[in-house]
Amino acid sequence: MINAVLVFNNTGQPRLTKFYSQIDVNLQQRLISEIFTLVANRPASACNFLPLPPLLQKTSSEALSDTDQPTRIIYRHYATLYFIIIADDLESELGLLDLIQVFVECLDRIFENVCELDLIFNFETLHQVLAEMIQGGGVVEVDRATIVESVRKAAKVTKRPQASLPDSATRSASPSGRSTPTHMAHRGSGVTGIGSNDFVWSGR
Amino acid sequence: MSSMRGLVQFIADLRNARARELEEKRINKELANIRQKFKDGGLNGYHKKKYVCKLLYIYILGWDVDFGHLEAVSLISASKYSEKQIGYLAVTLFLNENHDLLHLVVNSIKKDLMDNNELFNCLALHAIANVGGREMGEALNTDVHRLLISPTSKSFVKKKAALTLLRLYRKYPGIVQETWAERIISLMDDSDIGVCLSVTSLVLALVQDNPELYKGCYVKAAFRLKKVVVDDDYTQDYLYYKIPCPWLQVKLLRLLQYYPPSDDGNVQNMIRETLQKTIDLSSDMPKNTQQNNAQNAILFEAINLAIHIGTETGIMVQIIVRLGRFIQSRETNVRYLGLEAMAHLAAKSDSLEPIKKHQNTIIASLRDRDISVKRKALDLLYSMCDSTNAGVIVGELLKYLPNADYAIREEMVLKIAILTEKYATEYQWYVDNSLRLISMAGEHVSDEVWQRVIQITTNNEELQVYAAQTILGLVKGPQCHETLVKIGGYLLGEFGHLIADNPGCSPIEQFMALQSKFNGCSSATRAIILSAFVKFVNLFPEIKPQLVQVFEIYSHTLDSELQQRACEYLALVSMPTDDLLRTVCDEMPPFPERTSALLSRLHQKAAATSDKRTWVIGGKDANLDSANFDLKLNTSLKRSFTNSNGTPLTANGSSSALVADLAGLQINGSGLSTTTPALKPTNLASAEHLSPDWQIGFNRLLIRNEGVLYEDVQIQIGLRSEFRGPKGIVILYFTNKSSYAYGSFTTTINNPSRNDLSYTTQNIPDPNIEPDSQVQQMMIFEAVNVFTEPPTMRVSYLAGALQAVTLQLPVTLHKFMEPAELSADDFFKRWKQIGGAPREAQRVFGLQGTGRKIDAAKTRRVVEGFRWGVLDNVDANSKNWVGASVLHTLQGGKFGCLLRLEPNFETSMYRLTIRATDENVPPVIAKSMEERLAQGFFPQEVINGR
Repeated sequence: MINAVLVFNNTGQPRLTKFYSQIDVNLQQRLISEIFTLVANRPASACNFLPLPPLLQKTSSEALSDTDQPTRIIYRHYATLYFIIIADDLESELGLLDLIQVFVECLDRIFENVCELDLIFNFETLHQVLAEMIQGGGVVEVDRATIVESVRKAAKVTKRPQASLPDSATRSASPSGRSTPTHMAHRGSGVTGIGSNDFVWSGR
Repeated sequence: MSSMRGLVQFIADLRNARARELEEKRINKELANIRQKFKDGGLNGYHKKKYVCKLLYIYILGWDVDFGHLEAVSLISASKYSEKQIGYLAVTLFLNENHDLLHLVVNSIKKDLMDNNELFNCLALHAIANVGGREMGEALNTDVHRLLISPTSKSFVKKKAALTLLRLYRKYPGIVQETWAERIISLMDDSDIGVCLSVTSLVLALVQDNPELYKGCYVKAAFRLKKVVVDDDYTQDYLYYKIPCPWLQVKLLRLLQYYPPSDDGNVQNMIRETLQKTIDLSSDMPKNTQQNNAQNAILFEAINLAIHIGTETGIMVQIIVRLGRFIQSRETNVRYLGLEAMAHLAAKSDSLEPIKKHQNTIIASLRDRDISVKRKALDLLYSMCDSTNAGVIVGELLKYLPNADYAIREEMVLKIAILTEKYATEYQWYVDNSLRLISMAGEHVSDEVWQRVIQITTNNEELQVYAAQTILGLVKGPQCHETLVKIGGYLLGEFGHLIADNPGCSPIEQFMALQSKFNGCSSATRAIILSAFVKFVNLFPEIKPQLVQVFEIYSHTLDSELQQRACEYLALVSMPTDDLLRTVCDEMPPFPERTSALLSRLHQKAAATSDKRTWVIGGKDANLDSANFDLKLNTSLKRSFTNSNGTPLTANGSSSALVADLAGLQINGSGLSTTTPALKPTNLASAEHLSPDWQIGFNRLLIRNEGVLYEDVQIQIGLRSEFRGPKGIVILYFTNKSSYAYGSFTTTINNPSRNDLSYTTQNIPDPNIEPDSQVQQMMIFEAVNVFTEPPTMRVSYLAGALQAVTLQLPVTLHKFMEPAELSADDFFKRWKQIGGAPREAQRVFGLQGTGRKIDAAKTRRVVEGFRWGVLDNVDANSKNWVGASVLHTLQGGKFGCLLRLEPNFETSMYRLTIRATDENVPPVIAKSMEERLAQGFFPQEVINGR
């Protein structure tokens, strides 16, 4: 099973932490920094699979229940972000590598040229995309179109009640926004307005 | 969410905070604000959502949020989707399975599971999949299961339900009920790829604990794989960089590895075709990274499956060639996976020769830039080691050890130690390499390693002199690792006298060597040295004064353990006679045979990480079945170059720590340890579960070769068969009588006479049957020997709900008989030759039911239907029937069978006598004939009377 999905940027700031096994919050933070040091020092040509960091190896017996024992880290680096999956032997390494790619491509379709800022301001959408792909540590869907479709569908439902809100609530944040038809699209363009450190995914 | 101005502003503020203190300040301000708002109460849904979002954001940044959880989870009972969604997000982030607040949300979750809005269902399922534990599972499992199987569930609900169930099952296996098995397997035929994928993941977990119950999934997986890979049967949106659903392929290939290779030739062929196609497809490396990745993911899993099946020489040769290329690939990931696959091959393969061809490349991989690759190379070298290459491999590993990364040193040391012991043929080689290993590895030597050296030396007399000599040399050296001192202390204490006459090994020199290291050592090592000294008192009385002096000094030490030892030893050596001393310091008995602590340790390491794997690192011997596995760990303490004689066991305190450590070790098993299910799983395809009305068709077809086997309002099952000699072909025709299509059509054959009746299915019927159309399945049966129980078949399909019937197939022993002609003389001659019991079965029975009569013509038809050649004018009484027949079996050969059937028309009774050349035959035939004849009525009337 997949035990955790983590995303952090080049300076180690977490952008997404999702654990499918019970781990203490403090341990989580230590784990993230440990994994960060582990992957940040690896050259781009290095193997994308790593054994567990010492933190998980040693304490894992107490920190996790027996059935949730992870065995390795699979990671991928895109421009400013690291995507990490912690998983056990049952998952195919290359498969998980693909899964990260699918995740990124889905985000890219939803946010249209996704950048780190999108993930910051729309963390709940980020979680939603992940939820469409992985549930309880198992892969639920890998078809990009289906994932994007489901997220958008849910977003439409979300939008309905919000339509009744005063329009000005959004305006200051995304001046170019409101007129675009879908919720997602407007957000992508709005964010571009704020942030200057945009980047294009190397994965494409 | 950006519609929440306050939140966007807050996030922007935090981003603008350039220093961590500023961020902390802003967060604390916000937390105070939110705390106040929650305290004041009266917030509407929108505001509550906004504040919870802020809390979530703070939490995601890594700050602890210790309040507001209640407000957060209360959002899940909101009616607005946006609020509910944030509420559920909070549940999945803030809570865990042991959180108290979960009790409060179970009812809301249940309500959302039952809601008509599928999006609500999904939110609820997702929450359960994140935080569900046993308690929640027991409260909600039936709802989740209902969403999974309900024909009205949308695909996106089904797939989430499947994985939710998986999570709950992992937490508590009892959550998935046995009776769900068939229905869950049938979902693997779902046309939606996501559903199929999720259900396959669920089944993957279920089969590991209960392979028998879920064995129906094997054929389904093989069939689906073949359809995707060989028949190109998929829709375009399944393509991921030109590869059809790689994820599903990988899962299915993995699932097939949890079962032993199928004995059904048809299934074997499907798998073989799939594997071959996969290998062919991957022969050219695509330029696109993603496509390459996906393709390799499938290929490596296919290789693993091929290795698991192991019999396909053609495919194996291709695979080995391919692997040889992989481990030299420029891509790190491919090198890594290539080495791993080779380790799998070494673990399963009969011959290591093909791998040894790559030995140099593999050894070179130890020096790869990448630590992940190095680890795999180490695993592989360990697995591929045998007596022919042990010298080279151990040498290379030792050479590499000083430069190895710290992270893998301990494991390397363990593995080297095991190999050294396992393949030692000369004692000198063993001692040299073990001691060299220990002196080189230093800190990375776990206790098991040096203790094992002592055990081996103690149990093997030939080793002792050389070992004592060598260790003394090492201990004398200026830089001697403490672990070596420990070994030195023990070995010299035990075997020092064996070398005392050699130059440089006199008692006093042995004493000086140990004494010189005394002060630099830890307390435990000093204790060992003290014990060695008391043994010296016994062995070398000439240096007793020096030894006593040491004891005297140490009887004043601050270390209580050492002090006690010193005092006791002092008392012991000061006794008027040395009887007690001699008894205490008697030579140590050989260690009892027990599991190598080294292997235990290695496997403990492995057991923690790789449970549920289909193989373990190590040679083929480590991978026999799980039953043998524990035994296999029991490598003898005695090496092949040894024969030590047992000495009586005496308690010896001097090495107490050591003995206790060793005795306390136990293997908790192997990666292969399986939880054996307490109860035998129900087999719905077996004769105990026959559907009502199964006999009608069965009886009809007992005496015919074609007809309707079963019929109800939804399905008709027709049968045609032909038997010749020991072979029979049976074709079943399944017709959908309804006006809608059936899905997941599955047939499962249960053959209780597995050893005596073999079968192969010639095809797998298509899982979808359109209205008014038909699928067929052909099977070939072979009577290997005399069998008693006919096979049964479970036929299941989805028509809204799951429908299933279990039927007995009219493949009975008499079908393999061929009528024979005999003259009266011959008949009686043979009748007498065979004689009475035990080669005779006789039954006297009346007709069942009232008002039924014996009909001469119809009785004759039954007799002929039972494949007897009716012999007229043989029996003196013309009303009686006599018959002869030959039963054909593959291994048992032919059996001559004779029959005499005497009717009593007045009392409606029969007397049936059957004789055959083998005593196993008559009872079987007599039983089925009695059952048939006792009905009195004949097929047409039975049907008409229905």
